Amino acid sequence: MAVKKKWPAVLLTAALSVGLLAGCGESGGGNAGPSGSGSAEAGSGASDDLKPITFTFYSEDPNPNWTNMQDEIGKVITEKTGVTLNAEFAVGDPVQKSALIASSGKYPDIISAKNSINKFVDAGAVIDLTELIDQHAPNIKKLFGDQMNRLRYSNDDPSIYVIPTYDGVGNTIFEAGGGFSLQHRVVKELGYPKIRTVQDFENAIKQYLAKHPTDENGNKNIGVSLNADDWHMYISVTNPAFFATGAPDDGEYYIDMNTYEATYHYLRPEEKEYFRWLNHMNAEGLLDPDSFVQKYDQYKAKIASGRVLGLIDQLWDYADGEKALKAEGKFEYTYGHYPVTLNENYKDTSFWPTGFLAGYGIAISKTNPDPVRTIKFLDYLASDEGQVLLNWGIKDKHYTVDANGKRSMIKEVNDRRVNDATNFQKETGIGNYNTIGPHYGDGVKDPSGNYYTLRFPEQLVEGYSDVEKEVLKAYGATTWKDLFPKESEFKVKPWGAAWNIPVPSDNELTVLDEKLKTITWKMIPKAVLAKPEEFDRVWDDYLQQLEKAGVHKAEELRTQLVKDRVKLWSE
Amino acid sequence: MKAMSSAAVPSGGMPPEGRAPKFWKTAYRNRYLYLMTLPFVAWVFVFSYYPLWGWLMAFQSFKPGKPLFEQKWVGFDQFKTLFQDDLFYQVLRNTLAMSVMGLIAAFTVPIVFALLLNEVRNMFFKRFVQTVSYLPHFVSWAVAASIVTRMLATDNGVVNDILMGLGLIDKPIQFMANGHFFWGIVTLSDVWKETGWNAIIYLAAMTGISGELYEAAKVDGASRLRQIWHITLPGIRSTIIVLMILSIGHLVSIGFEKQFLLGNNLVLDYSQVLDLYSLQYGLQMNRYSFGVAVNIFNSVVSLILLFVANGLFKRMTKESIM
Repeated sequence: MAVKKKWPAVLLTAALSVGLLAGCGESGGGNAGPSGSGSAEAGSGASDDLKPITFTFYSEDPNPNWTNMQDEIGKVITEKTGVTLNAEFAVGDPVQKSALIASSGKYPDIISAKNSINKFVDAGAVIDLTELIDQHAPNIKKLFGDQMNRLRYSNDDPSIYVIPTYDGVGNTIFEAGGGFSLQHRVVKELGYPKIRTVQDFENAIKQYLAKHPTDENGNKNIGVSLNADDWHMYISVTNPAFFATGAPDDGEYYIDMNTYEATYHYLRPEEKEYFRWLNHMNAEGLLDPDSFVQKYDQYKAKIASGRVLGLIDQLWDYADGEKALKAEGKFEYTYGHYPVTLNENYKDTSFWPTGFLAGYGIAISKTNPDPVRTIKFLDYLASDEGQVLLNWGIKDKHYTVDANGKRSMIKEVNDRRVNDATNFQKETGIGNYNTIGPHYGDGVKDPSGNYYTLRFPEQLVEGYSDVEKEVLKAYGATTWKDLFPKESEFKVKPWGAAWNIPVPSDNELTVLDEKLKTITWKMIPKAVLAKPEEFDRVWDDYLQQLEKAGVHKAEELRTQLVKDRVKLWSE
Repeated sequence: MKAMSSAAVPSGGMPPEGRAPKFWKTAYRNRYLYLMTLPFVAWVFVFSYYPLWGWLMAFQSFKPGKPLFEQKWVGFDQFKTLFQDDLFYQVLRNTLAMSVMGLIAAFTVPIVFALLLNEVRNMFFKRFVQTVSYLPHFVSWAVAASIVTRMLATDNGVVNDILMGLGLIDKPIQFMANGHFFWGIVTLSDVWKETGWNAIIYLAAMTGISGELYEAAKVDGASRLRQIWHITLPGIRSTIIVLMILSIGHLVSIGFEKQFLLGNNLVLDYSQVLDLYSLQYGLQMNRYSFGVAVNIFNSVVSLILLFVANGLFKRMTKESIM
């Protein structure tokens, strides 16, 4: 062992001294910055220090397919940068986990904590990256371009603590994953009825259930199942209320386009009607009675059984269940997405543009042993080479480039990517690194004229099953998004999205929001499950509780935050 | 247990008052015993007394990343906020209700179970039942909660299927969605999970009862039930009382695992407990000081309960832990 270990060290020393000499030679002209040699043009920086180094990495979003970078592209990343990430993911409530880490004083080297980042900033746990990016990260600078000012933390503290890694720069959304979802077998059986309002949605389910109360194995079909386990409540129960009533996603608040006044969105009268409809669905027996008590795994298992006809959820939230259906080849039981709203006066707002959403991303802690290496690692991920690797994989293994320079996924690889997604991601690592580094959005082309990401119209359609294509054809569309109102129909929100604005931890809003949330999460299910004639009474009770908990005070504080954000971003 | 027995050793060697030289003499004589207790004294100090230092936080507006004495002092503000919060009282009610129910269950079911098991004469059967009964103790609450929710589900849930099969109900009951059932569900699942385990200590106490007593009772013509009532139960009485006083001390701090895992938004009014409250409204929101204030309240109430219980038992039964 000892002998074996020596060699890399000797080599490294040699490499280092050579590098040092080279550095000295270049900086003869009085350039005082020795670290400047790192910012060479090539993203991989061949002359760089590639000594293996391991960084600890914490992310609020668990990745069940994480393989400690032992997947195919993970190995390439380690080879090119010398970096291995030792990842820790939040299990259970991520906000709580982040709070624990922030207060423990033992910080991971790299932190991805979404909105909880404010706790780390307050504790002085993360470092200002402005200088580092400027000196060592040409690719990151190129990637963000004129969006750089959106990276600043606040009006009082214009430091850059976070490199946004969630939203892609220049992102165009090609695919709809939200709206209301129906199994293909339902619309097919009913001869592709128009699915535009909650009434249409309800009728389709009702008619299908009347014809087929059970599936072929005699198990009961379920009309609509909701996912209300912990934060999934937002995704499947409360957010659809504003999507279906013409308001954009601003978290728990509705923001007025002109005055930036915030309203707790449940106070909008139209949303009451949406919940009244859910209540009606329950009374009709079309809503799964376990909706509000089932746990997330039970919900996914139910979807994987193919018995649930309709969902009101986002694709990423139920995808695990659907993957199982695809793996079994039961494509008729997978879901299509429809822009359903309360009535025809509203437009589905899934695609209301936010502009580039900085905020959620990656930060470097003050205890990081080598921030320069870290930023260079991130810079590699942001380089053209890194971006293609992360999205497309390895040349000739996962994709090929033809004589005209057109990049395309190898057919067999792509089939596996679609139909055996979990194992594919574990083996290849494609999809494992997207939110670790800053990245280009869908629809952006690299210098070779190919798209950076795999989501572009042609690739998308290739990924559709035959049933899916058939259904789309019947509705006169090529992608699900064609059915939805376009981005251009809405005005860009100058504050991005209100859910993405971090709340300073000493702001009273934190406590108020928690109280309001507790009331909402308790009362909304109650209202939905109440007898229809009692709905109004429960709703009034709900509003009263909100008033008592200080909903208007919360609205004022939120308004201020939105105004501050508009100021920060428009400067 | 370790801490208790080690505490008992030096007190045995205490000299009568007012004779200092003799005290040192005894201390010297017992030096090895004293030395043996040292690790435990250190252990208690490090884990139970040293952290009390942090209580200072409750009187500050604590921000992480700054030393303790550079924080802002706010006096009793945190406690004021706590006592003015309606939610706090609801949470306290839930905590006390569930722990009292748990206490009653934990001091009847396992004792009865142990008594019954003790009467079983077939050793193989006895061992087998005992092993099976404490198996659930080793299942984590995360798994147990999921088993319980499945059993009580409306959709193919075993309990509902049985009730429907017997014709007792015509529509599945939404057990998990009704707040009024929640305390009962928690208590019953706790009984299922812990009965076997809790019975072990009573069974152990029962083996300590001399067989002669039973033989004498038999000669006097006492029936099985009489023997249980006059010999077995009094024989384990001190064990029961010591355990009871200790668990009364823990009434307020019942943890939140089961409530958190079994609960859902519909039953929030009945499922939220103090520990979860201090976590959600304290730590999770960076209100460390508030969290500490809740904990201080917890400790003070626990201490009071402990002394009251101890005093009551002392007077009533002459048994106590202090």
